[in-house]
Parts: sequence; structure tokens; C-alpha cells
Amino acid sequence: MSSSTPILVANRLSKTYHMGRVTVPVLREASIEVERGEWVAVVGLSGSGKSTLLHLLGGLDRPDRQPGRTAPNQRGGTIHFESTCVTDLGAAGLNRYRAHSVGFVFQFYHLLPELTVLENAMLPAMTGRTPLAWLNADASRAKAKRLLDRFGLGHRLKHRPNELSGGERQRTAIARALVNGPKVLLADEPTGNLDAKTGGEILEVIRELHGEGLTILMVTHDSSIASMADRVVRIADGRIVAE
Amino acid sequence: MYQILLVIRFLTTRIMPIIAVLAVALCVTLVIVVVSVMTGFLDMLRDSGKRLVGDVIVHMPVVGFPYYRELIADIEALDEAEAATPVIENYGLLQMPYGPGGAGTTEQVQVWAIEPESLAKVLDYHRLIYWKAPTESEAAVLAQDDPRLDPGYDRWPAAMAMQRGGSEKPGAILGIEISPFNHRERDGSYRTHDHSRSAQDRAHWMPQYEVRLTVVPNSSTGAADKEVRAQLDIVNEFQTGVFQIDSHRIFIPLGFGQELFGMDEAPRYSLNEVGPDGSPKRIGSVPSRVTTILVKGAPGVSPEDLRNAVKAAFLRFESLKADDPEAARMPRGVEILTWEERMRDLIGPVEKERGLMQILFSLVYIVCAGLVLAIFWSIVHEKTRDIGVLRSVGASRSGILAIFLAYGLSVGVVGSVVGFGLASLIIHYINEIHTAIGQPAPLLLWASVFVLCGGAVIGAILSILRDSALFTLLWSVIAIILAGVAVLLMLHKGVLIWDPSVYYFSRIPNHVDMTNALSTMGFAVLFSVIGAAVPAARAADTDPVRSLRYE
Repeated sequence: MSSSTPILVANRLSKTYHMGRVTVPVLREASIEVERGEWVAVVGLSGSGKSTLLHLLGGLDRPDRQPGRTAPNQRGGTIHFESTCVTDLGAAGLNRYRAHSVGFVFQFYHLLPELTVLENAMLPAMTGRTPLAWLNADASRAKAKRLLDRFGLGHRLKHRPNELSGGERQRTAIARALVNGPKVLLADEPTGNLDAKTGGEILEVIRELHGEGLTILMVTHDSSIASMADRVVRIADGRIVAE
Repeated sequence: MYQILLVIRFLTTRIMPIIAVLAVALCVTLVIVVVSVMTGFLDMLRDSGKRLVGDVIVHMPVVGFPYYRELIADIEALDEAEAATPVIENYGLLQMPYGPGGAGTTEQVQVWAIEPESLAKVLDYHRLIYWKAPTESEAAVLAQDDPRLDPGYDRWPAAMAMQRGGSEKPGAILGIEISPFNHRERDGSYRTHDHSRSAQDRAHWMPQYEVRLTVVPNSSTGAADKEVRAQLDIVNEFQTGVFQIDSHRIFIPLGFGQELFGMDEAPRYSLNEVGPDGSPKRIGSVPSRVTTILVKGAPGVSPEDLRNAVKAAFLRFESLKADDPEAARMPRGVEILTWEERMRDLIGPVEKERGLMQILFSLVYIVCAGLVLAIFWSIVHEKTRDIGVLRSVGASRSGILAIFLAYGLSVGVVGSVVGFGLASLIIHYINEIHTAIGQPAPLLLWASVFVLCGGAVIGAILSILRDSALFTLLWSVIAIILAGVAVLLMLHKGVLIWDPSVYYFSRIPNHVDMTNALSTMGFAVLFSVIGAAVPAARAADTDPVRSLRYE
């Protein structure tokens, strides 16, 4: 299903966390290329840097900064999404990138408990909107409903997350990730909190989306799940060690 | 727009913002109730003050000024003025008809010599006079044992004539608080009786006795003469509602007062020439004088405009008299003041008290901001992960900031509106509430609270059996509070907080001061937003990655 054009390219990404006096290098010059329409599974031990890689690629976090240095290996690396250098984007550009170019799915669903299923799914469509775009709110609502219908949640639109099963919550989270039509789905252990049967249903949804051409980057520690992907990337100690 | 959705949902689905709204509402209620009652009290005082002196006062203490009839005619000819009346204001000693050994106790009083007919055109004289037959509508609201319902207590004609029928002596009208036998009831009415009794006792009713008034007359130059005594019939009593006046002022007839104070018309003698009988030659007369003219303004004329018009009229009048070689000299230093300027010493302290109360109660806003800050800090802490989720779907820092600022604004607005509603309700029914507090709690009420307390005890026992520490604690606390309330209600015999015999207003002011209410609401909203600002900024600064990892 993948084409040979990379949609997402990370070059020598480094990320270090500072916890008081302790410095923890999480990513060490990790590079990865994801082709358009490709399904890539990132595997590795806990604490190996999988989620950090996902956060950097999704624009939730920035690589290390070293002022005055411009080469990727000197300034903590670069990320390119299509022709856009994500690492050079300002705050507003990153917000737009997160809202429209990528969609996140988390292990613990992270739905807002006060909102209904439909409102949760519409959330990315509501952020960063101009007043003029609000005239088009009905279109966003219709799209969110279509996605929820497709994932079997048409009868749950007005329910709150605490009234849903784990699988339903994760399907709502996937609908939320897709409502703005992103080109890349970033999934951080999407089945990690589900039983095998429900996890299988979620993987089936992801497989369908991949079949429709969506680029997927999925973090997992389960090799059987990883085997469903087009390609598996192994990360250890902050470095990509095998593809 | 997602901010509005989230604010509405945060407000309606969580207990914490409801607590914040309640905190703001109670703060707003407290300030509005206290300041409205204080403002009402001040307004009542102003109203009483205005009723006592009219709109404008022309005043020259002690020596007074002559030609007051002409001056009154000039003032009444002004478009701005409706009526004017002459008064002599001075001091004296009043020997009361009671006292040890029948000698009579002596009171220091302010003497107002008045003309009832013209005074009634400037002030509501009828309203001031206490012992008169009530109208039908007044009678309907009086207590059944109110002595004024008995025609035998009606002394209105004597108050107008300032003389008791068939008596040669001039009459005096005493402030109703001068006699210690006049006892003010909770409804504001009076009963006359000895301290050992509580029922009306005619023997201690003043308008049947005489008093002796001792004054020191003054010449037109202000020189004090030998004291003068006079015996007067008490013909009535008056009530202004202001204790300082009701306990220290008496009215006497103007003509008699002029004689008493040496301010009546007197012959004028030459210092150089002698008459046929060898005594100094009479060359004319010194006109009678008064110390004060009270002026009532025409409808729609402000006291300030009236004062300016009266000042101009007085200057013209003074100039004319100065040009007349036959006229007596007008004194220098005649004051022309509005009623508010004249009553400044009475109203000023109450205004300052209200200002002080407003400042003290403004501290409540800081408490309000502190409460909102603490609650919002906790909310932001609790919503850390959701903030990360919002950032992950494209929300900006300013968007997150806006959520919590709008949240604080909503808490402030809703709290203010609820507080205003609660305060309006309390103020509207403040007299009924006060009356209820002043009476013993009904048996049914405290018995019901005991029953509820029993229910809470059962709840606590069931919670123990279900092994729930939280509900055991909650039910136990509720049971203890209810038991305390029930016991207090049972022992409650009535508390009088607003004692009319102290405040001299029979009802607690029950009008919401809208200016104060709106400013209170505005400040509550402002301080709620200020309280929410710090947690909101903290939320905006929250690192989305750390937020998503937050458990």
C-alpha cells in the first residue's frame, strides 16, 4: 500500500530530559523515514524512547536545541513532514500541524470525561478555528458522525466516555484522531490497555485505515502486533538499532 | 469555540466549580446585604434630616437677624422656593414635671420657637406630631393596644395652636425621647408607663403636665442677659426618628420665644437726646428677630439651586437695608446652607461608617479571589492530562489560557448573579427574617431537625455496617451539625438584633442599593478572573508531553 515518497523524515533526532541534576538522554541521533501510506511499527523495551520518538514526530515535543548550530547532528535533529520542516515551525505552526497533519491515538484513550462521544470526536475540528470557519461547523459534525458510525458508535454519540467499554473508547479516540483528515496516524500502544479480543478489533480498524492509504506509525512492545505492519523499527537505548 | 463548550461542561458536570460559584455567591451576598442595609439606614437618616430642616436654611445663631418677614416674602417670591418659615433656635434648661421630691429633673434642651402654620408648609409638621388621631389607613396597621387609637390621646389641635384649650400659658411640644416614661416598642410605637409596668399608663403621659423653661436672652449684639424662666403647658410630643433630636429638642410658640430670648420688637432710644420726661428719647423700634428661616424648594428644584437663589435674594435684601438709614443693621455672617450641609455633623459620621464598612467588606473580594485561586489551582492540577490531550489535538497555549480565564469569568458571573439573587431575597424579607429570629423557634421546626438528625445517625450506622469510612464520616458530621442546630433551635427564645429602641427606625431598610450591588458584582467577577489567572497561566505553560504521561 505504501508509495516510495517519504511523508515523514526524522534525521538524527536527539532528546534529553533533565530531572533535577540528572540528565537522561532518551533519544540519541535516531533517524527514520516513513513512506506515504506505510504502516510502521516501532518496537522496543520500556524506556527505550519509542513514545518520545512519536511525540517528536507528532510535534508535541521538540528535539534538543543547541543555539547557533544548524547541522542536524549539532542541533538535535530535524523532522520533515512532506516539504515542511516541522522542527522549524513556530508555536502556531506546530498547533496547526498537530491539528491537521497528524492524529494521535494513546494507550489510555485520553478522552475528555466531560464531553460526549461526538464532542470528543469533534475536538480537533474545534481547536484553532477562525470565526469564519465556524460557519462550516456542521461539516465537522457530519464528518465526526460518519467516522463514529463507521466505527460502530452511531448509537453512542451522546454518551460520556465513562459509559463506554475500553474498545469503544479507543474507537472514539481513533475517530477523534481522524476527524481533521490527517495524513499520518500516530498510535502509542493503542491496544496496550485492551484485552486480546478488543485489541484485535482495534487492530482491524487500523488495518482498514491502512488499507485506505493512511500512513500509520504505531508504537508497540508486542511483536505479534508489530508483525502486522509493513515494516518494524526496533529502538533500544534511544537509538534505532534494526529495521 | 471549544473553550465555551468546555467551560459550560466544566461548570455543569463537576462539584469543584459549584463550590467556587457558591463561594463567590456568598461573598457577593454578604457585601450587598451589609452595604444595602447601611445605605438604607443612611437614606432614612437623610430623609429624617431633610424632614427636619427643609431644603435650605438661612441661619444666624444667637443674635439672629431682623426683617425676617420681608425676607421670607422675598424668598417666597422666588421661582425656586415654595414656602419659608421663621424659627428661633437656642438652648435652655427644662425642668420636668417629675423628679425626686417633686422638684423635677432638669434637662438641657434645644429650643425651637416656631409658627406651626408656616412650619407645616415647609416640613411635614403633621407627621412630626405624635399624639394625634391616626387616619384610617394608619389605624389599620397600629397595634390594638396603641394609645393613639384612643381619641382621649388626640392633642393635634393643641399642637397647631401651641396652647392647651382654656389655658393662658403658652404650650411646649417635647421631643418624645425627653421623657423617660415614653417607651419605644418593637413596632416603633410608644407606650407611656413607669419602668415597673409594661402596659399603657396615662399617669405618665406628658401632655397633661407643665414644664419650666429657663433660658438666657441675648441682645442684638449677642450680649447675654439675666436668665429668664417661664412655665409652659406640655401640649404634645413630636417624633423625628433621630434620637439626638427627639431627646433634646422642644418646640415653643415663635412670639413667646421672641419675648423669652429678647428677640421681640423693642423700642430704640437716642443716646444723646432726652424726652419730655427726662428719660432717653424714643427714636423708633428695633424689629423682632429670628435665628433661622427654613425654606422649602419648588418641585424639581435641587437644594443647591435653591440655596444659590436664596443667597442672591439675601444679598439683594441686605444691600437694600444697608442703603436705608432708618433700618436696623443686618448682622454679618448669616449662613445659607442646604439641608445636607446643615446636617453634616449628623450624616457625616454615618457616611464614614458606611465607607469604612465598604472598605472592610472589600476584603471579601480578596477572600473571593483566594478561594477561586485555590479551587482553580486544584482544577488545573486535576485537568493536567486533559490539557495535554487538548494540546495534542492542536489547542494553543492561548487557547488553554482562554479556557481557564473564561472558566473563572463564568464562575464570577454565575456566582455574582446567584449572590445578587440571594441578597435581593434576604433584603426583601429582612424584616420577616428578623421577626422570625426574634421569636422562639416553633416546636415543629426543631422537632423536624431532630428527626433529620436521627436519619443521619441511621445513615452513619448503615455506613459503618457497609465498611465505608467516607460515608460514615459524612453522616456523622451531618448528624452532629443537625443535633447542634436542633438543640440551638430548642433553646432559642428569640434574639433581637435590630433593636428599634437603639436605632430609632422601626424597620430595617429593605431596598437593594443597585449601584452598590452592580459594583459588588463587577468586583466579584474581576477578582474571580484574577484568582483564575494564575492557575490559567500555569495550565497554559503545562508541557503537553508531561501532561499526557501524568497519572
